[in-house]
Amino acid sequence: MAYKDFRDFLATLEKEGQLLTINDEVKPEPDIAAATKAMSKLGAETPAMLFDNIYGYNDAKVAMNVMGSWPNHALMMSLPKNTPLKDQFFEFARRYDQFPMPVQREETAPFHEVEITENINLFDILPLFRLNQGDGGFYIDKACVISRDLDDPEHFGKQNVGIYRMQVKGKDRLGIQPVPQHDIAIHLRQAEERGENLPVVIALGNEPAITTAAATPLHYDQSEYEMAGAIQGEPYRIVKAKDSDLDIPWGAEVVLEGELLAGVREFEGPFGEFTGHYSGGRSMPVIKINRVYHRQNPIFEHLYIGMPWTETDYMIGINTSVPLYQQLKEAFPNEIQAVNAMYTHGLVAIISTKRRYGGFAKAVGMRALTTPHGLGYCKLVIVVDEDVDPFNLPQVMWALSTKMHPKHDAVIIPDLSVLALDPGSSPSGITHKMVLDATTPVAPETRGHYSQPLDSPLNVEKWEQRLRELLR
Amino acid sequence: MHTCPRCESKKAEVVSKSPVEGAWEVYMCPVCIFTWRSIEPETITNPEKYNRAFKVNPADIPFAENVPALPAKYIK
Repeated sequence: MAYKDFRDFLATLEKEGQLLTINDEVKPEPDIAAATKAMSKLGAETPAMLFDNIYGYNDAKVAMNVMGSWPNHALMMSLPKNTPLKDQFFEFARRYDQFPMPVQREETAPFHEVEITENINLFDILPLFRLNQGDGGFYIDKACVISRDLDDPEHFGKQNVGIYRMQVKGKDRLGIQPVPQHDIAIHLRQAEERGENLPVVIALGNEPAITTAAATPLHYDQSEYEMAGAIQGEPYRIVKAKDSDLDIPWGAEVVLEGELLAGVREFEGPFGEFTGHYSGGRSMPVIKINRVYHRQNPIFEHLYIGMPWTETDYMIGINTSVPLYQQLKEAFPNEIQAVNAMYTHGLVAIISTKRRYGGFAKAVGMRALTTPHGLGYCKLVIVVDEDVDPFNLPQVMWALSTKMHPKHDAVIIPDLSVLALDPGSSPSGITHKMVLDATTPVAPETRGHYSQPLDSPLNVEKWEQRLRELLR
Repeated sequence: MHTCPRCESKKAEVVSKSPVEGAWEVYMCPVCIFTWRSIEPETITNPEKYNRAFKVNPADIPFAENVPALPAKYIK
């Protein structure tokens, strides 16, 4: 079942006991970020938060931590909120295979209610605030940014929907971080080589399927809208922009239309990033906003990002793991069981696999390094047996404890590519990577004493299922 | 004009005032683009108390790395 819009999803969260409304007055800083960070510390099943009494504002509403827990991630897919993580992974993989789901086009959208083209002031339109103490300003970091391939503008799949951090740098001006590995950087490069500005649309406050698809490492020519439809099991609704040929999520709360300015770089940052470190100050591109639309009394959805785990890690955990899983299965369809690449966006990944012969697990680990996501992440790949659940870290630690022999099973490959935000990379963007083989040796690798693995009492799995139903 | 707590330029200007009159103002520095609200803690608003590790020297700004790199035609 698809959510109609952002408000529809919030209503479901509320009904399921997964939305906490904070009616007490809060200050924009440091209260909202502090409360959200504190919520993340309370565990993996926390609710979203809606702040509706913010000092200095009359009727501003700010939604935080909207997908910041496993129950909320399950509800994103309209699954029961207590769906186990591994089951969410396999259900996401099943829906991923339904790609592409055709889109549904609409003529008008709720965000057309209010339109502003004169004297735009983003600081007045959005209840912006600082997230972390070292941040250079107020950011927008959970919005969908949409752009098209200028050399192939009719190709729907090459239209990109991505989530990029944006610093509000003036009344109608944003800084943006399109790192070279991102699809929007390809579009910007095309525009700058032509000497033209790149039209962009920014959609804030979306239902969660497009946010999830926008944060999934799809291939360049795969449409995030067609993936959002696959994830939600119904065609995704879009509406055309007025100043360009770009398509916009129908249910957005606020939409900004503008252009990335060709040839402009301007000081940006620092910004507290998902690595648990600030990015430092760099010169980055600038977007000029020409048109704003929003619903009456829009809800500003924002995302606290900082020392893991925060909402980001829930938002990009499964949708990073599944593409890696699918790509590994292309190479080894009968062996790969599951992939957990949830740690710091997959800088650490755990792969569960069968082994055909000695040395096989190491090959699986090295294949992960050469997947599209692996080129920028997968600094450490842990490979475990097919009966170890990669989402169950105590099981993974058991495998490392008992199956891994440092002399034989630790493989280091020097000087590979990694995202530049990895604070350990040196030079920035280059790192050694490691595969740890924590699988049971198989012939012709016959070392160790693994002939008497413990079994379980009969019927444990039946009981597990029964208990889960009793506890639902 | 206000003093930027981060780079200490004297050129920061008001970019927004609270919808509820008199609650706060938001300032922006045109030199280092630092943005802050008048009611933030002193570690953000006061140049002397701003975290030294995050101070910006205006002379360093032109040397900040371009991300992504600019095509050759834009490099002077």
